[in-house]
Amino acid sequence: MAYESDLELGDQVYHHETARRWLLSAAYTDSKLWEAREKDPQNLAVLANTMDRTYDRNLPVSSLTVSRFVDNISSREEVDQAEYYLYKFRHSPNCWYLRDWTIHSWIRQCLKYGAREKALHTLKNKVQYGIFPDDFTFNLLIDSYIKDGDFKSSCSVVEEVMLQEAFDLPSTQILSLYALGSYLATRPQLTVAEERGLGASLLLCGLKQDNTVGLSAQLLGNALLGKVEMLKGIHAVFKGMPLFWGRGYLGRALAVMEKAACCEVKLSKDTLDYMNDLLQELSSTSDSDSGEESGGDEDKKENAVDEDDQAEQAKLPQYASRFKELSSQLESQGKVDSASFQALVTVLAQQNLAAVEKPDLEQYNSRIQAWESEKRQLIQREKEMREKAEQEKQERLAAKAAAQQA
Amino acid sequence: MVKKKRLRLIAEMARKIRAYRELKSRPRESQKYALDYETMRRPHTGKMLPVLAWQDVRRESRLFSLLAGMRMFGVGRLFTRKSWLEEHTEPSYWQITKVKVDYTSENMDHGKAWGVLTYKGKQESEVKEVDKAVYHDWRLVPKHMEQQFTDFEPLPEPPVRYVPYPPLLRAMLLAQQKKTTGSIVTKEPSLPLQRDVLLNKDYFRKLEQERQRTEGTLV
Repeated sequence: MAYESDLELGDQVYHHETARRWLLSAAYTDSKLWEAREKDPQNLAVLANTMDRTYDRNLPVSSLTVSRFVDNISSREEVDQAEYYLYKFRHSPNCWYLRDWTIHSWIRQCLKYGAREKALHTLKNKVQYGIFPDDFTFNLLIDSYIKDGDFKSSCSVVEEVMLQEAFDLPSTQILSLYALGSYLATRPQLTVAEERGLGASLLLCGLKQDNTVGLSAQLLGNALLGKVEMLKGIHAVFKGMPLFWGRGYLGRALAVMEKAACCEVKLSKDTLDYMNDLLQELSSTSDSDSGEESGGDEDKKENAVDEDDQAEQAKLPQYASRFKELSSQLESQGKVDSASFQALVTVLAQQNLAAVEKPDLEQYNSRIQAWESEKRQLIQREKEMREKAEQEKQERLAAKAAAQQA
Repeated sequence: MVKKKRLRLIAEMARKIRAYRELKSRPRESQKYALDYETMRRPHTGKMLPVLAWQDVRRESRLFSLLAGMRMFGVGRLFTRKSWLEEHTEPSYWQITKVKVDYTSENMDHGKAWGVLTYKGKQESEVKEVDKAVYHDWRLVPKHMEQQFTDFEPLPEPPVRYVPYPPLLRAMLLAQQKKTTGSIVTKEPSLPLQRDVLLNKDYFRKLEQERQRTEGTLV
């Protein structure tokens, strides 16, 4: 793991012990509170049968049935069955009413029975399964991936958080920045789509934090998105993502640097290096492109590229020179922090994570209470409706018997 | 002297059954608005989309393509249209309040939405159905841009200009005034160059309703 390298040997043992505490504490990820709710034991086969029959008769299935099914999962195969029923529920008229606690318990059950990839798969296809977890659930999922060192999957979860624009809790922000920083520190080869996702998550997460980490994240995010914009055009950047449609992401990255120059905040060195490499790469590709363009079948491609995108590409040398100016200015002002982005994030996490976990836990408690009361209300309502249906059936039978006798 | 009309009960029943069956089998939104992106045709009617829209259809997304991937189908979020962004500098957007999704669609991609429109900076007062939700024109306003997007300082409206009436109409007005008040000392009648009432479908429908209410029945 990258954080081991920038510590002295003497500290290694200490940090191994406290390593777990950097991320979410045991109290946060503990499932005791969740297990302590009142159980509603139901036979899964019976529930499945009821649901199948209701779907066959084209009647709507209630969200209570689905939530009972997900709550009573007890093995890995049943996780697959629950996935099927979640899919069916999403494609039924009641898809709006999928409850928050059902989604939360689905993710918890997946983590419990080792079906984390399944949870990630349903999260990625949230359109088909309707899984929109809340902040606490996102934190749990990201944390479980970070603890196992699987930074790529944790980055995909962070992308999902970005698509929901759910970076409200500071704990979520810290965790996502940690995941992103660790992933980038492994220097992976990124495709254009991955770059876009990473850039967007860095940008949206960085906008919420007002310190070195936040600004560096914004800078990196804008730089990555600017690269995608140069290569593929602005429409490829914001389609399907909650991003601004205005051109000039590299310009906005430079604006972040200017902001750092005039305010109290520093920027981390490796983000500036990264941006430098990026700009050089882009200039070299654009030079080679303009050298090769001579054939007639290049005309078609030029028509496809928008005029405004071409104007943007023409600004690239301007951006490169402005970047050199600004980075030298920042270095002279001493605003460049030599620690790596990931080291900064780990420091931030160490300082703040324990503090921000507490209000989260309290909110989680109150939320569980609210969910419990809502569930009880639903069960009550279902019972009443069943009794009423029974009563009406009895009356009808009595009326029919009376009519037959007469 | 017309012969008495025969009571065709079975035909009546058949008519009702046919109407019911047509109601039950009417095409869903997902079937009606499905689109083949290669040939730009709608499979339901076989019609082709207008050529000027092809580039937009390839590049942009429909409202529900955006709503399907959002928590609670994007209720409470703001959505703009690319054509509004290009035409008007003042912000125009819909804030979604209610969504009815067509659950038979593959990616929950179709349906109807209701919301409050803010057109060119002026917010309307009531919830209406989102017009042209099937157009490939929609963009989500990200949360971090919402404040910047909706900040709008309306320019002060220029003062209403007044114009003299045409001579015949002016003479008629003055004659009527003389009949009612008996004096010609009033100031020059002038016509304000401002339309108080927007003459659209809603206005005429409301007029009809008002007239029906006041007139009552014919007899």
